[in-house]
Amino acid sequence: MGWISFYLPKYIVKNEYIVYIFSKGYREWVPISMKRRTLLKRGLALGGGVGASLAGSNALAAQQPETLITEIQDWNRYLGDGVDARPYGRPSQFETEAVRRNVPWLTADPKSSVNFTPLHKIDGIITPNGLCFERHHGGIAEIDPADQRLMINGLVDTPLVFTMEDLARFPRENHVYFLECAANTGMEWRGAQLNGCQFTHGMVHNVMYTGVKLKHLLAEAGLKSNAKWLLPEGADSSHMTRSVPMEKALDDCLVATHMNGEALRPEQGYPLRLVVPGWEGNMWVKWLRRIEVGDKPWHHREETSKYTDLLEDGTARRFTWVMEVKSVITNPSPQAPINHGRGQTVLTGLAWSGLGKIKRVDVSIDGGRNWKTARLDGPSLSKSVHRFYYDFNWDGSEMFLQSRAIDEFGNVQPTKTDLRAARGVNSIYHNNAIQTWHVRNDGTTENVEIA
Amino acid sequence: MSLRKTILGISAFMALVCSAPALADAADGEKLFGQCLACHQIGESAKHLFGPKLNGMSNKPAGLAEDYVYSGSFKKAAQSGLKWDDESLDKFLEAPLDFIVGTKMAFPGVKSEESRASIIAYLKEFNENGERIKAVVEPKIIKPIVIEPRKLATEFVVPKHGVLHLGRRALDEEVVAWDIDIRPDGLGLPKGSGNAIDGSELYENHCASCHGSFGEGTVRWPVLAGGEDTLTEERPEKTVGSYWPYLSTVYDYIRRAMPFGNARSLSDDDVYAITAYILYLNDLEDEEFELTSENFTSIRMPNEENFTADNRHEESYRLTNNSEPCMNNCADIPARIIQRARVLDVTPDSE
Repeated sequence: MGWISFYLPKYIVKNEYIVYIFSKGYREWVPISMKRRTLLKRGLALGGGVGASLAGSNALAAQQPETLITEIQDWNRYLGDGVDARPYGRPSQFETEAVRRNVPWLTADPKSSVNFTPLHKIDGIITPNGLCFERHHGGIAEIDPADQRLMINGLVDTPLVFTMEDLARFPRENHVYFLECAANTGMEWRGAQLNGCQFTHGMVHNVMYTGVKLKHLLAEAGLKSNAKWLLPEGADSSHMTRSVPMEKALDDCLVATHMNGEALRPEQGYPLRLVVPGWEGNMWVKWLRRIEVGDKPWHHREETSKYTDLLEDGTARRFTWVMEVKSVITNPSPQAPINHGRGQTVLTGLAWSGLGKIKRVDVSIDGGRNWKTARLDGPSLSKSVHRFYYDFNWDGSEMFLQSRAIDEFGNVQPTKTDLRAARGVNSIYHNNAIQTWHVRNDGTTENVEIA
Repeated sequence: MSLRKTILGISAFMALVCSAPALADAADGEKLFGQCLACHQIGESAKHLFGPKLNGMSNKPAGLAEDYVYSGSFKKAAQSGLKWDDESLDKFLEAPLDFIVGTKMAFPGVKSEESRASIIAYLKEFNENGERIKAVVEPKIIKPIVIEPRKLATEFVVPKHGVLHLGRRALDEEVVAWDIDIRPDGLGLPKGSGNAIDGSELYENHCASCHGSFGEGTVRWPVLAGGEDTLTEERPEKTVGSYWPYLSTVYDYIRRAMPFGNARSLSDDDVYAITAYILYLNDLEDEEFELTSENFTSIRMPNEENFTADNRHEESYRLTNNSEPCMNNCADIPARIIQRARVLDVTPDSE
């Protein structure tokens, strides 16, 4: 306990001093002038100049020495938390903006709803586990791995039941894949609607999965010759089901136990989820409890009533599984305006394709009149997001930012006009159109549509 | 402390703190409350939904939820002095529609007394501000650990199936318990039947509070009926009747996921009856209609033919693999704004 009271001492304010009161009567007197920031943080009202310590980041504005530099700060002097204070580490207390957010009016109930990855607050290609967007149809099932069973039944030689211990004995693999909800950007079909890439594009995340190739599990049960389709099923109260064609199942599907090196998070299907690389997120059944093998698709609710794409002529496409080539600029964006004024500027964003790798990303600052090829950085992996950067000198005039991704098969991200002409505005799903952000001459940024 | 003393101590402790019936368990109540969540919220961020939020309502007069519009009959009951205590809550939860005839709470009720007591115990843990006042911490029961000698690796039996010989054969009873899926060709349909008249009562009890008495949907819950010929309109209404291609999907979905928060609680015949009633709501069958495992696959949905395969690759805007997209001077005039997201003002507060 001594350490804790040493780290967070009680204090009183006396004349020009703060008196820290430590255990065993030990006191330390510190002049108030040296502790201004500490007191401000604790909400004590004090007169006197605080301008220097609140100065902005623009170096040119520093007319007087920054007390951050000239004065000894708390963290320079006092001991911090010991090793056991955070047995499972958390982000810094200052990273309060890097959180998932939802749009309450979108759905009737938070148990069957969605929230969004803060794309503007992350970098690189991997999404931290705690920031991966959530989409549940019956809330988060909490399953003890000792109670987890995976059944394979239907057109197989031997219907089987696996425990988690059984699954841990199969050869396993590691793959980085993006997962995008088919409805990502779905609110933007009729026009610019939500102000922030978190809300317009945040139903995507990119994670390294550890798991067993589905084909190994199926081989264990033995497929009958007429086995053409699979029906994965979840154990949660929605008992989520989707029909998956056998070619995909035998190609690259995984039954995953880990994400980014640790066990799946409960909201991502702990202890077991299906991974269907490049295909719409709804198919990646969480809390996976059963895989049925059949000869025809099942046409269940999530592939008829939902996740079908209504076209302008009243017909609807079904089994539109692949998430096509797409990109978005994450910074600057409405939630991440430019605060530094003109001059050297980093533009960055994410690009992905459900068919394979990203070959190239072009960036425009004038609304698609002229394009420059951005720099792809970090690992370039099939069916994974790619990070792109465009470093440039902003002259301070207004910009219309766009990004356009091209995948390794030459598929080019379409414009909103292209997509609306082809499909109308009632498809909900599979909106992979080019996004426009308007950056004003004061650096503020908003979601717009341009002609 | 001797074991005897410990037990005595625990029971004295329990007697002191448990005023609700002995079987009430707020933790169980929290789980059981799942079936209420479609209409009610509780807690600090709770809002009114179809039903009022339920913070701090125990041992208070009924009908106090601010800004919530109660039904006329509920208001009357409140005016005549209804107070929510363990007894009245228990009766209400047992059969809401019997206790207050005409209440909006079209919920069939909780049959088990123990479950009701647990739900009430859970409700009582929340004060008016929705803060959860931590209830009694139950004494932990420590199970004696029995250490059995570890089996030798050679004593494990290796199964014969498959390639790696992992997992075990699923038993028939296990497959039957989990394999509940239905296909359009009728594969998986259980034997049974139900008619639209019975379905109407079941629907009113289990479905109407979210989907509306006529399938019109409340708040943002799915609309189930109507919407025919709207698929080409500006605001299409995709209902079972106007959009769903197969009836098997209706049966399968109700059976696996409905009622919301109380999945797998309906009998197979109940699901037949509700499915029949949804057909009736969509003017696809009359009210005398009986749906059975025999006539099921003869029923075709009106929109079945309007689903097509994925032909996105044929869309005309697509560039062929050989041509490069425009890089310079791609339009004659500068970009101008035609719509701003801020104007629509639907972005949630990012604070």
